[in-house]
Formats: sequence, structure tokens, C-alpha cells
Amino acid sequence: MVLVSAVRDYVNRMFQDISGMKVLILDSQTVSIVSVVYSQSELLQKEVFLVELIDSISKSKESMSHLKAVYFLRPTSENIQYMRRQLSNPRFGEYHLFFSNMLKDTQIHLLADSDEQEVVQQVQEFYADFIAVDPYHFTLNMPSNHYYILPAVVDPSNLQHFCDRAVDGIGAVFLALKRRPIIRYSRTSDIAKRIAHETAKLMYQQESGLFDFRRMEMSPLLLIVDRRDDPVTPLLNQWTYQAMVHELIGIQDNKVDLRSIGKLPKDQQEVVLSSEQDAFFKTNMYENFGDIGMNIKRMVDDFQQVAKSNQNIQTIEDMAKFVDNYPEYRKMHGNVSKHVTLVTEMSKIVEERKLMLVSETEQELACNGGQVAAFEAVNNLLNNESISDIDRLRLVMLYALRYEKESPVQLMQLFNKLASRSAKYKQGLVQFLLKQAGVDKRTGDLYGNRDFLNIARNMARGLKGVENVYTQHQPLLFQTMESIIKGRLRDVDYPYVGNHFQQGRPQEVIIFIVGGTTYEESRSVAQLNASSSGIRFLLGGTAVLNSKRFLKDLEEAQGIARTNANVV
Amino acid sequence: MATRNRTWLFNKYRDALKGARAPTSSSAAATAKLRASSGGTPAIEMAGTSLLHPKRSYTVLSTEDPGNSSKGAATIGLPPSWVDVSEEIAANVQRSRAKMAELGKAHAKALMPSFGDGIEDQRNIENLTNEITNLLKRSERRLQKLSATGPSEDSNIRKNVQRQLATDLQNLSMELRKKQSTYLKRLRQQMEEGADMEMNLNGNRAKEDDDDSDDMMLNEYQMAKLKQSEAYTVEREREIQQVVESVNELAQIMKDLSVLVIDQGTIIDRIDYNIQNVATTVEEGLKQLQKAERTQKQGGMVMCASVLVIMCFVMLVLLILKEIIF
Repeated sequence: MVLVSAVRDYVNRMFQDISGMKVLILDSQTVSIVSVVYSQSELLQKEVFLVELIDSISKSKESMSHLKAVYFLRPTSENIQYMRRQLSNPRFGEYHLFFSNMLKDTQIHLLADSDEQEVVQQVQEFYADFIAVDPYHFTLNMPSNHYYILPAVVDPSNLQHFCDRAVDGIGAVFLALKRRPIIRYSRTSDIAKRIAHETAKLMYQQESGLFDFRRMEMSPLLLIVDRRDDPVTPLLNQWTYQAMVHELIGIQDNKVDLRSIGKLPKDQQEVVLSSEQDAFFKTNMYENFGDIGMNIKRMVDDFQQVAKSNQNIQTIEDMAKFVDNYPEYRKMHGNVSKHVTLVTEMSKIVEERKLMLVSETEQELACNGGQVAAFEAVNNLLNNESISDIDRLRLVMLYALRYEKESPVQLMQLFNKLASRSAKYKQGLVQFLLKQAGVDKRTGDLYGNRDFLNIARNMARGLKGVENVYTQHQPLLFQTMESIIKGRLRDVDYPYVGNHFQQGRPQEVIIFIVGGTTYEESRSVAQLNASSSGIRFLLGGTAVLNSKRFLKDLEEAQGIARTNANVV
Repeated sequence: MATRNRTWLFNKYRDALKGARAPTSSSAAATAKLRASSGGTPAIEMAGTSLLHPKRSYTVLSTEDPGNSSKGAATIGLPPSWVDVSEEIAANVQRSRAKMAELGKAHAKALMPSFGDGIEDQRNIENLTNEITNLLKRSERRLQKLSATGPSEDSNIRKNVQRQLATDLQNLSMELRKKQSTYLKRLRQQMEEGADMEMNLNGNRAKEDDDDSDDMMLNEYQMAKLKQSEAYTVEREREIQQVVESVNELAQIMKDLSVLVIDQGTIIDRIDYNIQNVATTVEEGLKQLQKAERTQKQGGMVMCASVLVIMCFVMLVLLILKEIIF
């Protein structure tokens, strides 16, 4: 509940001392921040009767001076310009300004300059600058996520913008939690190092007064890692509920848009999947597809029982009971339809794309050895006509990541076959991926074949057999977290920033993945948190990835790198 | 959670800039400001108090229509008239809540065994229940008045106010129904117990005394008891019937309200969905208006009608001609 409740507290505090009818004005980023934690009905209870975006409210000219305006914006120069215009022609009775991050003095000066009518009552910084998707998972939802892949010389200003947003988001998380961490980062990643150093500068030098919280015996740990240390996880197909919905359909701010999938009744075209509001989802979000099917069937049976008893109304008492239970009944009906629709659509997609076949090979590539068998399997699937282009691309990428150094001839064969079969394939994408995230570039032991201990562990696992072939993959993050729990995170792989040092284990760890997190990783985090290891983990990233998004980032980066190379 | 208050710094800058601005402002701006400020200062105070504050003085501060866009100075006008309706409903909700607390106490008192026959308690309960039901009914009818037409910011506010009051009303009516049904259940229980007790008493009496001489007396005694328990049962039946009626009335109110109330946890309860929706409904509304304008201009109906009238005249002329010729 940690992250969600932090943002909710901020929103509650905004409305606390303001009485009367209010209007809430947000910008395109803070809309997501508020929508995932606060519902419309809760806003109405706080007497907030209108919610608008800042760019649309500047177009209207109606004067509504009986309303008090509450603005919650990110402190960007664009928003400050909008504010200036609105303050010079105020439409509302009072103005209460809240910013989600630190304001520069010049910005305050500009605002004060435009407030000639003196309508502004307060200007505060409330550090809710991240989207709290799940209790232990946050994201910054950055639109241009691909800049982390490019080296700094290619586009320095956009990269600076990227780093600034990441540093702002991380700073806001720690201000919301009221902690100041020790910072470590992944050795091989320049951008992780850069963000780590800039965050340290913010927390320990620039705003050290603001971050000067009461120190507990153990400072929390902030670990900044790079997506390219583990490129396998976003490429894999997923079979646990939340991850699967995101992979096959796509979840944005806890909403699923089903309009592109097929013809659906109006109230099922867009649905909400939030563990806070949906008890069934909360218990089932990390379950695998087979178990979900059974649980949904059970839910449908229960619902049908209730529906049948509702049809059997004989006495006045029955009528009274029906009317009493009608809101519950309606809610249950909506919930059941939502989950049934989701699972049906996903089953259709699995059928169409033959995902069970593809995923078996994927998991083999990710977890087990055997280059010859793997080559054959991938070759067969490439020859199979019913496999879609994106699945072929993923298979070749997974093969390349694993068997990069073994048998380059066969690797070339696969590249050529891929290029000849997939019309839309951008040439050299797989090679680009290898260049970025190949075995020389990665920190940590992705396949468990560098360290003797890991090799032994893998052999043991192979002998023991596996419960479910489709969910045998564990993301690299899981290993990292386990090392932290045992206190054995190597300094040489994950150095400290500056002269920080920490003996023993921290009690709170926040892992930030530059380039994006996946729902499979947030699942590992939730599972580790549920087991009493004594450490609480939080996970965050610049976006939430699925294979489509990850591939899009790669393509965009490749495009920019190419034009840059041509120019140079 | 950490926050930082920048208001002090903001005010400092604002005052400094105001001081810098004042000597250089033109006379026109100064007079405009003076005109506004004389009416403006009490206005700011008024806007500061809560709109749901019962004692409010309506000082008419500006002769301008609140709908007009102000030119420069912020003329604070009166809130629109529908705010009165919403406040009335909110006040009704408060009153109903207080009365429900009273009703709860009255229920408890009536259920306790008492020496009198409790007719006063019954009447009290009846009155309270009727009052609350009437309040809720009236509020619901007034609530329908808040519905607005046409896409505008004001209509969004009205719709949201309507939703929030509908949620409150629905919760209240559900609470009332729950209270009533528990009271009803307990009443029925008591009635059954009472009847059982009476039956047992009569049964025992009949078993114990078999003497002839006592028979007559016992029969009379039994008859009296029976009559009493009958009257008692009839009384209870009537009460139950009344409670059931009010339950049904409330059910009707709830059905009407449920279309207004938002289902929690659905997509309609999301802030970003509502913002998007507003944008699309405004666009849709514009498209509909344009389409309506176009179809009206074409005036298919008008053309048809005129063609028919002309045909009628032509037929009439032909008929007359036929008569003349033949």
C-alpha cells in the first residue's frame, strides 16, 4: 500500500483545508498520477465538482467565481506559461497551486508577477511525481523512453531531459517516503551511473536541507540498473494474469483498452484492472492462466446462483432483499463480465498466434541449455507459416542473446531467414540489440552460466524438473534481490556512489530500472515482499514494458543512431 | 510525507512586484482598480466563506451578469441559481440523518418490553418514518431539476453535484430500509413469542384444571385472554403492513436514484475517463447540432407538404373543369 497511500495522502491534503465547491485542474501527466489512486466518486465527496486539463480550461472564457480552483501540475515551463495566462485573467474565486516537484525561484517569481489580482492563496510543493501502479510498483510513464539506449553524444539535450525526469521522479519517491538512501548503480551502464550521480547531487548537495530526514540505523538502498542487463524478460511471452494482459492487449495506467480487439458491448470497451479496487484481481493477478480459468469459472457459478435466486421473487421479503442487494449484484455482474471478457479475448489471441507453441521454445531459450536443439526449434518455427512476424523476431532475438558466441554461422542463417520472411523487419535490429545488450555489455549473470554456483544451481533445477514449463523463467531481478537479502551484492558489479558505504543488509530497497520495468518483475517483487525476508522492496522504472514497447524503443533508437551515423 | 510551502516566498515576490508596479501604472488602470476594489473587497470575503454555510448575507456587489466575461477587474458575482437547489437538498440530507438517529432510538425503545401498550411509541415511529420518507422523496424530485442540457462546463458541474447528492440519498434510503427491516424482523419475533406464550398459557390452564366448577370460570378467562391476544396480533399486523409499505416506497426511490449513482471500481469512476469523455461529448454535441441544422435547412418535410398542396389544387381544378365540360 506504500506508494499508493503516499499519493492518496497528498491528494487528500490538497483538499483538506479548502471548503466549498472546488474545481481540480491537472496536466496530462498529473491526470495519470491522480487517476490511478483516486476515484471520481471520492473527488465528489470532497466537493470537487469539476476536473479539467489545463490546456482545455484556458480555452473557455466563462467566469465561475463561486468555485475555488485547485491546480496540481508538474513544474514545467509550459505549465508555468499557462498559469501566468490564467492568473492574469482569473476565472475562479480562489487559486490554490500545488506542484508535483521542486519549483525554481525564477518560476515563483514569474507566477508572482502575473498574480496582479492577488487570487493565489497558497503555493505548495507536494511530491507526488510518479504513477503508483501497484502498492510496490511505480512508473514514470515517459513518452520517449528510447533515449537511454543511445550514447550521450547523439542527442545530449533530449538525454538530459530524460535524466532530469528520472531524477525528479526518484527524488519525489524518496520525499514521499521521507527517506534519504545510499545509492548504488550497475557498473557497465553509463546512463545508470549518470542518473545515480545526479540523484546523489540532488539529495546530498543541492537540496540537502529538504532531504534531511531523521536517520534510522540503516539507510535504505537505491539501486539503479539498466534494462539492457536483462533484455530477455521484456521479450518473453507471459502467462500470469496481469503480465499476460499487458503483453497481449496492453495496460495503461491500470486501464485496459479493448476497443481495438473486437466488437464488444459498450460497457466492456474499456475496463479497469486495479488491485486496490477489485478483490478478485487482487487475489488472481499473479496466478497463471490455467488457475485463473478455474477461478473465473467458480466466480461465474457463484454469480449464476445469485442471479437465479434473484429471479425467484415470491414474497415481499424477497422483494425487499432483492432491492437491498441490488447495488452489490450490479457490481458483481460488472466484475464477472469484465474478467470473462478479458480471458476470452486473451484465449482467442493465444489460439491465433499459436502462442503455446512459441512460448515453449522461448522458455527453453531463456532457461535451459542445448544449442543444437534450440537452433532446430527456432528454425522450425521460422518455417511455420502461422507464426506472426513479431513472434519470429522475438525468437531470433532470444536465440541470439543466448547463443551469441556459439556457432556464428547458424546465427547468420537465422538472421537471413528472418529478413526474408518478415516483410516489415528492419534490417539489423537483432544485431543492434546484441551490440547494446550483448554478453560483454551486461552486468550480472543473466543465464546463470558464469558463476560456478549458478551453473550448479541450474543443473540441480534441471534434474528436479519444473512445475510449469511456461512459467519457469525467473527475471534477473529476482537473483539481484536474493543477493541483496543475503547481503552479497558485489561491489565490483554494483559500486557505490561517492563515499557511501553500507555494512549489513538494508531494510528498505528501491530498485529503479532505467528503460522500464515489466509486470513479471513486479510480480517477483510482490512475491518476495510477501515472504518474510525482513526487507521491503519497491520497484520503479521509466515505463512499463511489454515486448511491443521494448521493440519499438529499440527500433526508434536504431533509427536515430543510423541517421546520426549517416550525418557524421 | 514531505511537502514544502512556497507561499511565503510567493507573497514576498508578489508584494515586491506590486510595489514596483504601482507608481508606474497609468491613471486608467488605477481608476479601474479603484472601481473594482470598492466592490471587490467584501466580495472576496464572501467568496471565502463556505457556500454551504447556513447564515450567508447576499450582498449584491456587482450589477454585471455573472455570465459576462469581465474586462480586467474580477467582478465576483453571485453563484448560479441551481446552487440553491443543491444546498436545499444537502440541508434535507442533514436533517434526514438527524431524524434517522432519532428513529433508531425510538425503535429500540418500542422493542423493549413495557408496561403500557406502547401506542405512543408506535405513533412516534410512524411519524418519524413518514417524515424521513417524505424528505427523501422531495429531495429526489428536486434532484431531477438539477439535470442540465447541452455540453458546457457548468453542466458538468451540475451533473457531478447531482451524482454526489444521489449517492448520499441512496445511502440514506438503504440505511433506512435496513433499520426498518431489522425492526420488522424483531417485531415479528416478538409477535410470535407473544402468541406462543399465550398459547402455552392457555394450554397449561386447560391441562391443569379439569374441574367442572372451574370450567366456566376458566373458559371466560380463556376467552378474555384470546380476545386480548387477537387485538394485539391485529395491531402488530397493521404496523408490519405500514413498515412494508414504506419499504416499498423507498425501493422505488432507490431504483430511480441508481441510474445517477456511479458504480465504484468501473471505468466510469475514473477521473481520466471522465475528462476524455467531456471532450468527446462536446465534439459529438457540435456534430449533432451541425447535422440537425443541415437537415432542417433541407426541409424535406416542407417540400413534401408543399408538393402535396399543389397536387390538391391541381386535382380540384381538374374536377371543376370536368364539371364544366360535362
